[in-house]
Amino acid sequence: MNRKLKLTVRDVTLIGLMVAIIEVCKIALSGLPNIELTSFWVIMFTRYFKKRVLFVIPVFILIEGVMYGIHIWWIMYLYAWPLLALVAYLTRKSDSAVSLAIISGVFGLLFGLLCSIPYIFIGSVDGNIINGFRTAFAWWIAGIPWDLVHGIANFIIMLVLYHPINTVMKKTDKMIFSE
Amino acid sequence: MKANAKKIIGIVLVIVLIIALGALYFVFREKPVEGSKSITIEVINSKSESVVYELKTDAEFLRQAMEEAEGLTFNGSESEYGLMVNEVNGEIADFSVNGAYWSFNVNGTYCNYGIDTQPVLDGDAFSIVYTLG
Repeated sequence: MNRKLKLTVRDVTLIGLMVAIIEVCKIALSGLPNIELTSFWVIMFTRYFKKRVLFVIPVFILIEGVMYGIHIWWIMYLYAWPLLALVAYLTRKSDSAVSLAIISGVFGLLFGLLCSIPYIFIGSVDGNIINGFRTAFAWWIAGIPWDLVHGIANFIIMLVLYHPINTVMKKTDKMIFSE
Repeated sequence: MKANAKKIIGIVLVIVLIIALGALYFVFREKPVEGSKSITIEVINSKSESVVYELKTDAEFLRQAMEEAEGLTFNGSESEYGLMVNEVNGEIADFSVNGAYWSFNVNGTYCNYGIDTQPVLDGDAFSIVYTLG
């Protein structure tokens, strides 16, 4: 294994904890459609635990698949969450709740658009790619009200939770990695 | 100052995105399809006053078409033959008092079925007439 990606027992424990936090929050909020803490945690964990998130997201997606079955949404997860982690990694130096709320909000607003990609292929089964785009477009448009809920909720959640969680994570980061 | 400007631009972008998504939804969302059958329902009350309801419907049976007719109200009692209508647009026809009833006609002919089973065809002209027995 690449030396940089070599995991210690502490890393594995940390990865398990991160996945558990994401899953518990997801289940706790499952009664509220499109209001979730997964985006918030993916952004926060990427900022603090960097390479370990490379393991957190696949494990999270795998658990989701095991719990709810492998469907089209599962394929969407394969690229949507890593994309958010990549954006969070590239903007990790920003320490502004507003900037991160914008990132999280835009991700929520465009989540439906991102997730419509598989429908391009599903709609093209007759060999006509135009039909594929039409299918994806119709699917995306139908879900826009929920994308608006998703984006606005993501924006507010980041604004409200960033400072308290960031303070705790800074302390945790020092505790874990200063030894 | 520069950072603040970036934040403001970011927030404006989010708001623009929300508005754009909302506009896209209202322009391209699936809209309810107008019914494929054109029918009329005429109500003639005890004073021989007539009100005509024109509607486009996909209703299979008269009851659903009557429910879809805006402004038309009716009431009655459920029976094994479906709804027995005794009140239309607030006027009650009470057979036990004066032998009055609401007569249902389609294209000038007495309906053979109750409103739950009376078929609706394109171009049908229904009439609901206050009738004294």
